[in-house]
Amino acid sequence: MKEFLFTQIRIITRHRFGAFGGLVILFFGVIALLAPVLAPHDPWTSLATADGRLAILKPPSTEFLLGTTSMGRDILSQMIYATRTTVLIGLSSGLISIFIGANIGLLSGYFGGRLDEVLMRLTDIVYGLPFLPFLIVLISLFGRNIWFVIIAICCIVWRTSARVVRAQTLSIRQRQFILAAKARGAGDGRIIYRHILPNIMPLLLLYTSFNIAWSVLAEAGASFLGFSDPDNLSWGGILYNLWISGKIRVAWWWFAWPSICIILLVSALVFVSRAYEEVANPRLRQR
Amino acid sequence: MREFIVRRCIYTLLTLFAVATILFFIFRMLPGDPTAQVISPALDPAVQARLQKAYGLDKPMAVQYGLYLKNLVTLNWGRSFTTAEPVFAMLIYRFWNTIFLMAAGLSFTLIFGIGMGMVMAWRRNSPLDVGSTLAALVLQSAPPFVTGILLLMTLSYRLDLFPTGGMLASGTPLMSGIRLIASADFWHHLVLPALTVAFYYLATPMLIMRDSMLEILGSDFIELAKAKGLSPRIIMIRHAARNALLPVLTVTSVMIGFAIGGQVIVEQVFSWPGMGQLMVQSASSQDYPVAQATFMLLAVVVIFMNLLTDISYGWLDPRIRLGGKAS
Repeated sequence: MKEFLFTQIRIITRHRFGAFGGLVILFFGVIALLAPVLAPHDPWTSLATADGRLAILKPPSTEFLLGTTSMGRDILSQMIYATRTTVLIGLSSGLISIFIGANIGLLSGYFGGRLDEVLMRLTDIVYGLPFLPFLIVLISLFGRNIWFVIIAICCIVWRTSARVVRAQTLSIRQRQFILAAKARGAGDGRIIYRHILPNIMPLLLLYTSFNIAWSVLAEAGASFLGFSDPDNLSWGGILYNLWISGKIRVAWWWFAWPSICIILLVSALVFVSRAYEEVANPRLRQR
Repeated sequence: MREFIVRRCIYTLLTLFAVATILFFIFRMLPGDPTAQVISPALDPAVQARLQKAYGLDKPMAVQYGLYLKNLVTLNWGRSFTTAEPVFAMLIYRFWNTIFLMAAGLSFTLIFGIGMGMVMAWRRNSPLDVGSTLAALVLQSAPPFVTGILLLMTLSYRLDLFPTGGMLASGTPLMSGIRLIASADFWHHLVLPALTVAFYYLATPMLIMRDSMLEILGSDFIELAKAKGLSPRIIMIRHAARNALLPVLTVTSVMIGFAIGGQVIVEQVFSWPGMGQLMVQSASSQDYPVAQATFMLLAVVVIFMNLLTDISYGWLDPRIRLGGKAS
């Protein structure tokens, strides 16, 4: 396990952008973990300035590092807690969806035949569902709850990794060492998970990173449109509050910080994916 | 080839059918009263009972499903809960607005993206190349509302060059079709949302064109062209780019399928009266007939784009056409 982790770190840091990406992800991860410790104020209380007035729409200052909202709430604290929500949603959706996608791809590619047909038809159907509208429909019907958001995202994001894993499995399945393992009497389960899976690891990690990135983007989009948990603010949710307050013309700070963080986190994940892409697809290295 | 297309079309029909079925069940799984998706719960109970009979909601689920499919295909999509307008008429108007916006954004993306991709490949690893790649990656990571609001803040709020939203100036009577395209006001309102849509799509064709060009530039026939003494410009455009274009065009249909979500966001930010805005509005106000129909129409667009992609890939790569059994 430990050498697995070290290998991953080496892969990510060898690539220029990958190292930057890894650092950014680490940064946000730490903030997400330590949120209650780091946030200077409660994100939901309306605060007052030193002279007792309500701190409405204050630009960044020494008192309120990132400024305040139209309700007098500290944006820095909101951002810190929102990091927790965003990271939680991104990570959960990303990991669950790669688990689903990888398994469907492996089983589909390995067994072929009827199972393959059925699973690939299913994938085609899911490919036919537009992502954001589906999120909107599910969340509006079942309630604005953080868990429904995660479930809704997972329902769709697995589709890309399923197809790619299946393609890889199809090609690996023909290789000599698989045939040798079969000749020695290895069962299907053992072949899939002990022999094929380790060989598609770089591809899986690439798509894990992509899946998390897409989850973060989708969640930000749905939140911005108002389809998110009002109790668990995320970066998109902060922007939604900004949008409906109508103060977009005045409060550049309210817009800037969540936007920058979304862009940073998603780019970081994409960079990490690119680092894995070079490992998974050696032809790219020469370019 | 024809057999391939027919097979793909059949699969597409199956997918459409499956999506319609999924939609049927999702909306029926509403917590609470399942009939609320057809008859607004705001109506008087006696009226609701009568409507239930009239809509056949007291019939068994299987019969309702049959009715649902029949209505879907005969374009009888019900009436809005909020405005009582026929849903189909609402959607047709908004469908074309969305298509105009998408087409405008897409044209810009293709022209600019392909051009830039070409130049980037030619001047490989130059500051232009590296800078553009970075810019493309950042644009890809920025949700469309970020780029949209940024454009609004700079070009609209500050510099007052463009209107802040809508498709026509407030108070203008509703236009559609040719009259719409002919009005200058429409184009003035189109610029910012189209730019936002374009930025959202931009990274893919640009980077793919670049990769494709790089691969082609390494080929023998380019060597020959250089040996013949042709100018770099002619080699780049007439020889390399023409061949590099193919992957970009096939990727375009995939892109559109994936980017419908971005469309929704752009329409919301710029209050553009299209399907995306309707989707958000109807979902927020629990106007189920409209939400259901809009989702179905959006899904149809995506599925149709997927079909185009499959057919164009099949045309390009004979192995796919002949069925991937050959190994």
